[in-house]
Amino acid sequence: MATTSTLTQQKKPERSLSPWQIARKKFFKNKLAMISSAFIIIVTLLSLAAPFLAPYLSPIPDVSKVNISSMNITPNSDHWLGTDKSGRDVLTRLLYGGRISLLVGFSATLLVISIGTIVGSIAGFFGGFVDSMLMRFTDFVLNFPFLVFVIVLNTILMGIIDGLWVLIIVIGVLSWGGVARLVRSKVLAEKENEYIMAALSIGCSPFKVIVKHLLPNVMSTIIVQATLIFASMIVVESALSYLGFGVPQSTPSWGNMLSSANEPDVLQGKQWIWMPPALIIIFTILSINFIGEGLKDALNPKSLR
Amino acid sequence: MLKYSLRRLLGMIPMLILISIVVFSLAKIMPGDSLSGEIDPNNTNPEYIAEMREKLGYNDPLPVQYFNWITGFMQGDFGKSTKYKTPVADVIIEKLPNTLFLGIMALVITYILAFLMGMYSGRKPYTIGDNAIAGINYVMLAIPSFVAAVFAIYFFAFQLNWFPFGGSVDIIVEEGTPEYWLSRLHHVLLPAIVLGAMSTASYTQFLRNDIIENSRKDYVRTARAKGTPIAKIYNVHILRNSIIPLVTFLGFDFAALIGGAIITETIFTYPGIGQLFLDSVSSRDYPTLMALTMLLSFLTLAGNLLADLLYGIVDPRIRMD
Repeated sequence: MATTSTLTQQKKPERSLSPWQIARKKFFKNKLAMISSAFIIIVTLLSLAAPFLAPYLSPIPDVSKVNISSMNITPNSDHWLGTDKSGRDVLTRLLYGGRISLLVGFSATLLVISIGTIVGSIAGFFGGFVDSMLMRFTDFVLNFPFLVFVIVLNTILMGIIDGLWVLIIVIGVLSWGGVARLVRSKVLAEKENEYIMAALSIGCSPFKVIVKHLLPNVMSTIIVQATLIFASMIVVESALSYLGFGVPQSTPSWGNMLSSANEPDVLQGKQWIWMPPALIIIFTILSINFIGEGLKDALNPKSLR
Repeated sequence: MLKYSLRRLLGMIPMLILISIVVFSLAKIMPGDSLSGEIDPNNTNPEYIAEMREKLGYNDPLPVQYFNWITGFMQGDFGKSTKYKTPVADVIIEKLPNTLFLGIMALVITYILAFLMGMYSGRKPYTIGDNAIAGINYVMLAIPSFVAAVFAIYFFAFQLNWFPFGGSVDIIVEEGTPEYWLSRLHHVLLPAIVLGAMSTASYTQFLRNDIIENSRKDYVRTARAKGTPIAKIYNVHILRNSIIPLVTFLGFDFAALIGGAIITETIFTYPGIGQLFLDSVSSRDYPTLMALTMLLSFLTLAGNLLADLLYGIVDPRIRMD
C-alpha cells in the first residue's frame, strides 16, 4: 500500500501555480502593502465594532447628544483623545465616523465600478454605433466639473432621500467615466483573441461571452482601479463633508469631524479635536494607495518582484 | 490640424447646450424661484408677487423660460444676485481676479517645484535623492488637499506665523501702493503652495521619465562624443525636448485647479470664485449659482479641449482626422 501511494505521488506532475496564486505570493512578499492591509483591516474592524466598543472606551458612549458638562476636555485616562466642543468623546466619534466614511467610500466605489464596467464592456464588445453612443455619453459625464455638480445635486436631493445615500448615489453616478473608458480599451484588445471567436462560433450569447470570458480577463485591471477609486471616494466624501455639503452634520464622519478645524480657536489651541481625524484620513488614503500599488505589481505578470 | 481644431470647437457647442439644459433643470428643481432676485422680499402682498411673477415670466412654459434665460445669458445678462442685490456679472467680476491670481501663482509654484525635482531626478535616476523625491511626490499626491491645507494653516500660519491664515489682503494697506501688492502676494502664497503642490507629482514624474528616456538617445551620445559638458547637455539639449510634452498637462490642470480652488479658497477664506460658489449654494443665491456653474463647466470644457489640441500640436502622430 505504502509503496503504491509513493509511486502515485511521484508520477503526479507538480502542479504549477495559477496566476492568482502567483499574484497572492507576490502581494504577501510586499511589506508596505501588507502593513497597509493590516492597518486598513484594523481600522475597518474597529469601526464596525464601534457600538460594542463605545461603552468600554469612554464614560459617555453616546455621540449623538451634546454634553455641556464635558466640553473641550483635553486627552486623559477617561477620554483617550479628549472631547470636542459639544462634549462628545473624540475617539468614539472617530470610530463611528469610520463606519460612515468607509461605508460611503465602499458603496460609491461599488457603484462606480459596476456602472463603469457595464458601460465599458458593452461599448467595447459591440463596437460600432453602440460604442460611439455610449462613449459620447461617457465624454459628457467626464466633461462635467465634478465637484461643482456634486455640490449642487447634493443640495437639491438632500431633503428627498436619506442624506448618506444621496451622497453615495451622486458621487457614484458622476464619476464612472474613467472606469468605462479603461474597461472599454481593455475589452477592445481582449476580444480580438481566438478564444472569443471560438466562444461566439459555438453559439455563446454576447452576455455570456462578456461575463464568462471577457470580464475575468480584465478583472485584474478592474481590481487595481477599484482600490485607487476607493481611496479617492473617501477623499471626496471627507472633502464634501468638511465643506458642509456631504454627510449631514448630525452624522459623524471623518470629514465632518475635521470641519471643526474651521474655527481658528480649535485649529490653534485644541489640536486633539481635529488632528485625529486628519491623521486617520491621511493614513487610510496612503494605505489604500499602497495596497493598490502592491496589487498592480502583483497582478502584472511582467513585473519581476 | 486646423480642421481638427475646428471640429473639436464645434463639438463643444452641443456639450454646452446640454450642460445649460442640465443647469437650468437643476435650478428649476431647487426649492423657490431660481430667478427671484428681482422681487422685493419685503413686499409680501400676494398680488404684487403674482404680478411680478407674471412680469418676470415664471408662468411661461418651461421651454420658453429656458429660451429666455439662455438668450439673456448669451448676451451677458446673468440676472441679479439675490444676496448682493447687484447684477451677478458684477459680483463675479469682482472676485475673478483673486481666483486668477491664485490659479496663476499655483501654476507657477507647480512649475518651479516640478522643474527642480524633475531635473534632479532625471539626471540622477535610481539614487537616494531620486527615491526620496519619488516618495515625497507620492505622499503629496495621496494626501487630500483639504487636509494638507488644514495642516499648512496650523503650522505656517499659527505656529510659525509666516503667513496670514485667511483673506486676500490686509485691511489697513491702501490700494495701489507697493505694500498692497506685497500684502496680496503674502496672502496668496500659502493657498497657492497647497493648490500647486497637488499637481506637482505628475509633472515631476513625467519630466524625470522623459529626461531619462532622452538621455539614451543618439543626439545625446553625439553631443557627448563631441565633448559637450554634461551640464550643458542636460540643461540645454535634453531639457528643450523634455519641456514641450509638459505643455499638454496645462489643459488638465485647468479642471483640477477649478475643483481645487473651491476647496482651497473656502479653507483659506480667500474671497474668490470658489468661495463665492459655495456661498451661493448655501445662501440659495440661484442666479449667481447658475452663472457660476455655467462658467466653471465652460472652463472645464475649455481646459479639456486645450489639452487635446496641445496634444495634437506637440505630438503630430496623435492627430486624428
